[in-house]
Amino acid sequence: MLFNFANVLTFIVFGAVFVGINITLSRILQARNPHPVKLSTYECGELPEGDSWIQFNIRFYVIALIFLIFEVEIVFLFPWATVFKELGLFAFVEMMIFVFILLVGLAYVWVKGDLEWDKSTAVPDPALAPSAARQELTEAIAS
Amino acid sequence: MDYSSIIKDNLISLNYFLPELLLTGLIIVLVIADLFLKDERSPWLSFVALAGCVVVLLSVIAQFDLGSRSLFQHMLVVDPFSVFFKLLFLASAIAVIFLSIASVELAGRPVGEYFTLLIALTLGLFLMASSTNLVTILLSIEFVSIVSFVLATYLKTRRRSSEAGLKYAIYGAFSSGLMLYGLSLLYGLTGTLNLYEIGDVLASRDSNGMALTLSTILILAGFGYKIASVPFHFWSPDVYEGAPTPITAFLSIGPKAAGFAVLIRFFNVALAGEPANGASQWSALPELDWPMILAVVSAITMTLGNLVAIVQTNIKRLLAYSSIAHAGYALMGVVVLSQDGIYATMFYLAVYYLMNLGAFLVVIVFQDLLGSEKIADFKGLAWRAPVPAIAMAVFLVSLTGLPPTAGFIGKFYLFAAVIKAGPAFYWLAVVGLLNSVVALYYYARILKTMFFDKAAEENSISVSPYYVTLLALLAAPTIILGVYWAPLQKLATNSVEFLRAL
Amino acid sequence: MEVGLNHYLALAAILFSLGLFAVVTKKNAVTVLMGVELILNAANINFVAFARFIDTDLDGQIIAVFVIVTAAAAAAVALAIVLNLYERLKSINLDEADSLAG
Repeated sequence: MLFNFANVLTFIVFGAVFVGINITLSRILQARNPHPVKLSTYECGELPEGDSWIQFNIRFYVIALIFLIFEVEIVFLFPWATVFKELGLFAFVEMMIFVFILLVGLAYVWVKGDLEWDKSTAVPDPALAPSAARQELTEAIAS
Repeated sequence: MDYSSIIKDNLISLNYFLPELLLTGLIIVLVIADLFLKDERSPWLSFVALAGCVVVLLSVIAQFDLGSRSLFQHMLVVDPFSVFFKLLFLASAIAVIFLSIASVELAGRPVGEYFTLLIALTLGLFLMASSTNLVTILLSIEFVSIVSFVLATYLKTRRRSSEAGLKYAIYGAFSSGLMLYGLSLLYGLTGTLNLYEIGDVLASRDSNGMALTLSTILILAGFGYKIASVPFHFWSPDVYEGAPTPITAFLSIGPKAAGFAVLIRFFNVALAGEPANGASQWSALPELDWPMILAVVSAITMTLGNLVAIVQTNIKRLLAYSSIAHAGYALMGVVVLSQDGIYATMFYLAVYYLMNLGAFLVVIVFQDLLGSEKIADFKGLAWRAPVPAIAMAVFLVSLTGLPPTAGFIGKFYLFAAVIKAGPAFYWLAVVGLLNSVVALYYYARILKTMFFDKAAEENSISVSPYYVTLLALLAAPTIILGVYWAPLQKLATNSVEFLRAL
Repeated sequence: MEVGLNHYLALAAILFSLGLFAVVTKKNAVTVLMGVELILNAANINFVAFARFIDTDLDGQIIAVFVIVTAAAAAAVALAIVLNLYERLKSINLDEADSLAG
């Protein structure tokens, strides 16, 4: 039974030896010429600016969240696609309804402006400015 | 493999799925209508939601004569039990829409999203009450959780609402993770996701008691979170305080009742045997004494809820702890494993809907009038605003469980079911009684503040007729059902029947 | 030794414990959510392993797909709430979300 692990053991030993030999060889053969530029982050030849531990713009998160939701829903299309031919029209209609609901969601995000990069963030607290119709209703209820 | 029979079964099932389909349609209509509205704060969508709910209500009532029927390859079920809970959810949704229309807290916020989410929550509750498969149980519980997170955070510009949402979301995600792990162990023990098949497999062979107990306790985490029982109650005071009050009212009724529905179905279908020679009591699996686990949870839940409620100064937090205690009371009916017990729990939940919603309505009224949720600010309100104060008295007396209110009848049935089940659970009845005495103390304290303490100001406050009507609509049945409870009794008796085997 | 059911279960149990540890000890909301994610994935490994070794049809794999989707949805909503709270508090430390207490 333990024999089955022999492969794994051989692999581990061989891997360790291989890496060890190569590192030692390069230590022996390399030319040493330290320079601070060599330690800096490689950004396609540009000089790196500032720290990489910065806060990203919050808009990235919103886009990422929207992407995440729609991307994950696609997972349901794969099982459907494998049996699509056998299931025929019924499954097709079902999946079209599913996709339609997703599209409604996408349209909602779009119209509400959450896909815009420059969505105005300076929206006043809506509680302070009730709409005209709303106010009429509140008054009607109160009277 | 032959798919045509499956497709045919699904098409037939669609006929029995009408209320849920209507709700789905309503959600889509609300979303699309919201896109075309010029002003997202205009109130018209609330009327659309209300009209939709009434249509759904009619279609649910039509389901009463259907009997029991398994749908979509045993994923869901339609039976009187689920129909009873669906009525309860719709009644809550309609009441909450009425509360939201007039709410000052919500005034000026976008309404389209709000009502869409409210209807989506109702759909999730519907599915919870009728799930008979681990997949649908998981999906419906997650559905309800995710929507409630958003609703609890709806006043996102307010810090308290944001914090409430965060706590709700973190506890919710954690407890559904625990539940899922428990479900996976149960699946491993039985090799099926279907509740009925799980019940058959567990009844027909001895399984590993340790693994079964572990998985049951983990699954209880998910259900306990929904009904806010110890030790998964931590979210509830914070969320009740921070969420907009109409949503608090909904969360204290809808998900709690749905949690009970799925809990009762799960335990009685998957983990209980058929009654021996036609007895009215079922038997739990020999290797897993879950009635005892639930009894302990019930006792601790009501004791903790009541004891912590005593020291609360904020009325919403007090009602949160009292609602934890009420979950403990309602659990007593599940413990005894009999028709009587389940019937008592269902009756109690229906009564709880009336009195708790009423109490929250009074909180909303006072919040609008005084701008405060502090009990200390209610001093002498009985003389300044008599109508809500008297209504509050009715609801609090009912919550305590004193006659002549519906709460008394509900508690009576619960205690009767526990006593009838035999001496094994007498101690639970005693704990319940002692707790009712504790509860009397803090409910009476609110009444004392309102009726006997001297008010800081003398001027009377006028309450809008809209609120007076709503208060009357909730207070009247609370008293009437305390004297003449036959209609509700009949409804609950007819609904206690659920599909126990395929 | 073949890799059998027990190995998968052990892996899942380890993942579950790590997730539980993260949820209980960490103060950062995002780290707690990552812990929850570990718990969900532990359950998923269980489901898929049981589907392979015990069940004859694919039930376990189906529920795994649904778990992935609901986990993503829950995480998206929870992260959105965390973002919103960050705008209020300038912090995602759970200990600082303490204005509700009593």
